[in-house]
Amino acid sequence: MMQFFEDARQFMPILLQGAYVTVQVAFLSLALSTVLGLTLALMRMSGNPLFYVPAVTVITGLRGIPIIVQLMYIYFVLPEIGIDLSAFTAGVIGLGVAYSAYHAENFRAAILAVDRGQYEAALSIGMAKAQLMRRIILPQALRIMLPPYGNITIMMLKDSSLASAITVSEVTRAGQLIASSTFKNMTVFTLVAFIYLVMSLPLTALNSWLERRFAAK
Amino acid sequence: MIEVKEVSKSFGALTVLKSMSFTVARGEVVCLIGPSGSGKSTMLRCVNGLERHDSGLISIDGMTVDTKSKTIGSVRAEVGMVFQRFNLFPHMTALGNIVEGPVQVRGRPKGAANEEAMALLHKVGLSDKAESYPSQLSGGQQQRIAIARALAMKPKAMLFDEPTSALDPETVGDVLAVMKDLAHEGMTMLVVTHEMGFAAEVANRVLFLDRGEILEEGPPSELLKRPQNERTRDFLQRVLHPGERTVRDDRP
Ligand SMILES: Nc1ncnc2c1ncn2[C@@H]1O[C@H](COP(=O)(O)OP(=O)(O)OP(=O)(O)O)[C@@H](O)[C@H]1O
Ligand SMILES: [Mg+2]
Repeated sequence: MMQFFEDARQFMPILLQGAYVTVQVAFLSLALSTVLGLTLALMRMSGNPLFYVPAVTVITGLRGIPIIVQLMYIYFVLPEIGIDLSAFTAGVIGLGVAYSAYHAENFRAAILAVDRGQYEAALSIGMAKAQLMRRIILPQALRIMLPPYGNITIMMLKDSSLASAITVSEVTRAGQLIASSTFKNMTVFTLVAFIYLVMSLPLTALNSWLERRFAAK
Repeated sequence: MIEVKEVSKSFGALTVLKSMSFTVARGEVVCLIGPSGSGKSTMLRCVNGLERHDSGLISIDGMTVDTKSKTIGSVRAEVGMVFQRFNLFPHMTALGNIVEGPVQVRGRPKGAANEEAMALLHKVGLSDKAESYPSQLSGGQQQRIAIARALAMKPKAMLFDEPTSALDPETVGDVLAVMKDLAHEGMTMLVVTHEMGFAAEVANRVLFLDRGEILEEGPPSELLKRPQNERTRDFLQRVLHPGERTVRDDRP
């Protein structure tokens, strides 16, 4: 037991550096996937096939391909056509793009859940389509989409570990490196698991707070 | 003010409006009655372009209603609509609901819009509910806010689609009272309703709609008291005496 704490004290600074990268990857890919997801959702719901056909194709494709394969594609295949990204950038873009499909489906479901009467009421006072979305539909959809959004955020935090496969030095990768040179698997991966848990707990708490807050009204 | 000329409308194979024509003159109150599914709501929704008619012509104060045109928004802004299920914006207060149109669509300054909204709240008897959210209001109160929201656009005409049929009986009177006031102030109104008392008292004319056609029309004193058409008679019998079964009901 003493040995565990001894090792922990030694490994922790490296692991925490990894955790910092994990937070960066998770946060940046969350921002990217949110913007892309909303764009895809709006494209998919526009009545114009010029927009919704590409959107449906992209969403279906992204959902059907494992995230780790998408990451490898971006990191190992794109350089062959001259797009050379750092592991970190490739990880953020890969996760962001992959998760945009899930955000898009969440946003779409939330927007569709807003009562049709709301569109009609907004149209009947003369609102234009963009105004109607911004002022009436999206604020209501926001309440519906927040709980699933929180869940997706937690999944993204955990799935940022997939970036270790393309050598992003986030916490899982840092753990792997320490473990393979010290053979202290149990200590290292217990610490890694603990770090993920600690990072996700505030998100879980925030999530249930949002759920309660928006259920109230 | 409202002109409907040979308007037809189908949903797939189902023809809902069959070459319908009528007009509502400025300041006139016209009630649209008829059995469920006869096309009353569809007719009303075509008038402000929430539904697209297949053929024929609809115009409001000379402006053609064309859902594909760029100006459909400004036509809709001239016509107030009150829905059966209120459709207030749940994330805005009563006051917020009322100023939304004037501020966002008409570009009115917030202060002026607020003042006008307060006057409208007073008019519908809900001055004390300005800061309430729809979920905190009764059905009758919500519907009066919905009427105020429509009036805030200073519409040339108002459309009502069964404004009282989703309400508890004891709140129906308040809503009808607001509508009567409007009628007396000279608002042009097209009202789908099952409230025969309202039609009898307020309407200048009543149109009886059945299976997408106007079967009979006339002043309420005529149409409601001495209906000429057999189907009008059957319908009124059923609405006015819901307990009794009509023996002659040969409808499919
Ligand atoms: N969006 C739609 N798609 C398909 N059919 C529709 C649609 N809207 C209405 N209908 C059909 O058109 C017919 C007329 O409907 P409408 O709502 O105009 O009747 P209504 O006279 O208002 O009836 P109610 O008194 O029950 O409100 C009905 O048979 C209805 O099922
Ligand atoms: Mg109806």
